[in-house]
Amino acid sequence: MASQFDNIIESIISSTPSGEIQHVYKDLKLIAGQQSEDTILDAIAKFNVSNFIPIDVDGKSVIISPYNKEGSKFFDPESSTMFSVDHLNRKALDIEKCEKFLSDEERRLYVQLENYASKAFPGDLTYAVYSKGGESKEVILTIVSTKYSPGNFWNGHWRSIYHYDLETHDLRGVIEVNIHYFEDGNVSFQCKKEVQESATSDAIVSIKQLDAKLEEEMGASFAQMNDRDFKLLRRRLPVTRSKISWGKGIGTYRLGKDSAENQFK
Amino acid sequence: MSSFDAALDLLRRLDPTKVEKHLSQLIQLDPSLAEDLLSSVDTPLQVKKDPNAAQKEFLTCDYNRDIDSHRSPWSNQYVPPLSAADLEESPFPTAAVRRMEELANDSFDIYRELYYEGGVSSVYMWDLGDDVEDFAGVVLFKKSGQSKSSWDAIHVFEALQGEDSRQWEYRVTTTIILHLDSGREAQLSGNLTRQTQKTETKPVSVAQDTDAYKVWHISNLGSHIEAVESQMRTQLEVVYFDKTRDIYRELRDPSVATASDNRLAHEQVVKGLQGM
Repeated sequence: MASQFDNIIESIISSTPSGEIQHVYKDLKLIAGQQSEDTILDAIAKFNVSNFIPIDVDGKSVIISPYNKEGSKFFDPESSTMFSVDHLNRKALDIEKCEKFLSDEERRLYVQLENYASKAFPGDLTYAVYSKGGESKEVILTIVSTKYSPGNFWNGHWRSIYHYDLETHDLRGVIEVNIHYFEDGNVSFQCKKEVQESATSDAIVSIKQLDAKLEEEMGASFAQMNDRDFKLLRRRLPVTRSKISWGKGIGTYRLGKDSAENQFK
Repeated sequence: MSSFDAALDLLRRLDPTKVEKHLSQLIQLDPSLAEDLLSSVDTPLQVKKDPNAAQKEFLTCDYNRDIDSHRSPWSNQYVPPLSAADLEESPFPTAAVRRMEELANDSFDIYRELYYEGGVSSVYMWDLGDDVEDFAGVVLFKKSGQSKSSWDAIHVFEALQGEDSRQWEYRVTTTIILHLDSGREAQLSGNLTRQTQKTETKPVSVAQDTDAYKVWHISNLGSHIEAVESQMRTQLEVVYFDKTRDIYRELRDPSVATASDNRLAHEQVVKGLQGM
């Protein structure tokens, strides 16, 4: 059973912006001590798999996930390779050929996904098609686009994961965007949305439309947060439209307000 | 790097909406960090009601806390009340500092009404030693808006008398914790911190130990805090909205492809024309 210590480490790792995991690893090890290293690395391995983190496989970027994991290893059906992962450095180890392939249908989706993703995602881009395996007729279509700029104190991460049923052509997915800005502070933008479409005629066209719709909604949320929520919290200028005249006379604002209120009594 | 520096570095990286949880987790990992972290990490302000002042609301933070009670700026009493034995050890400002604290609360309450049109404000002050005039304090504002949005401003200051006794330096560390929640799929939250200072020369006519002297200090702090808050409001708007949108465009931007398609088409047209 996981100890309270393990839970704390896992909770902190799961709250880490993807591009800053190495800093968090160093900080945590310093606070919790050298003996905590294995626990931290275990939590990072879990984080990488559940967050579809791209791994460098001898120059090719490959997303790792529960859908391409076999024992302690991962595989890339597109290039028919299998590998272990150095989770802290996001690098593949012991890369070898394996008997994993994309089916013709999956290959077709892969090419279409590539065609869409390479045009719409200018970040460091990784995409994949994974079969869900077993009896399932579903495949996973996923896009990860990141831009890490720690020198400028920001990191951004887009991740969309779609489940596509090859028989019913139903599509459901989760799109997540995380942006972290940390110069003189810690500002985080988080957006997470579940989307779906039934009986699509073309999965990739639908994905493109669902992504675009999310983007449009996000724009509307931004506008609302800026125009309504932000402005209602603190005014740019006082109600009087000029800066406050401080000092003994400041009480007159209150008197003025009282007398104004009195007029309506 | 010390454990304390590592903890501060962590807290500027981890999800800022969970700062209270992570703060207590870090203290569990290393209990010796507790005091330093609690006094240097700003968390969203809590609101209490003062039963000694008609249930008027006041803000609580580590600066007005003793055991599990908080001193109210309105009645100068701890809420909930402490035992007589505990109270003997509890911090209270000196009479002169308390008088200034009262005047400051009055002034910043007006400021709050003019800029925030609601919300809660509280000012707490303390002296910095028996043989100096120096004092310190914290000016707090909290405003909660619709759909869980909130603004917490925390201005921690020191007022230090210079070698020329009429010269006063004010050093202010401002943190604004801003949480914006669209109530839909998106939220923007976090904090920005800025350190500022200013120096003022006291007019000869303002005599020490008078209310006028205290009002002079409050005016200096007030106009400075007013300016800093206004600058930071602009900075918050830029970082939260413009910066986030710019970074997002680095991740997804369908118009890039369109632009390059257009350029390609344009080049083909040019080539076509040249070939004629």
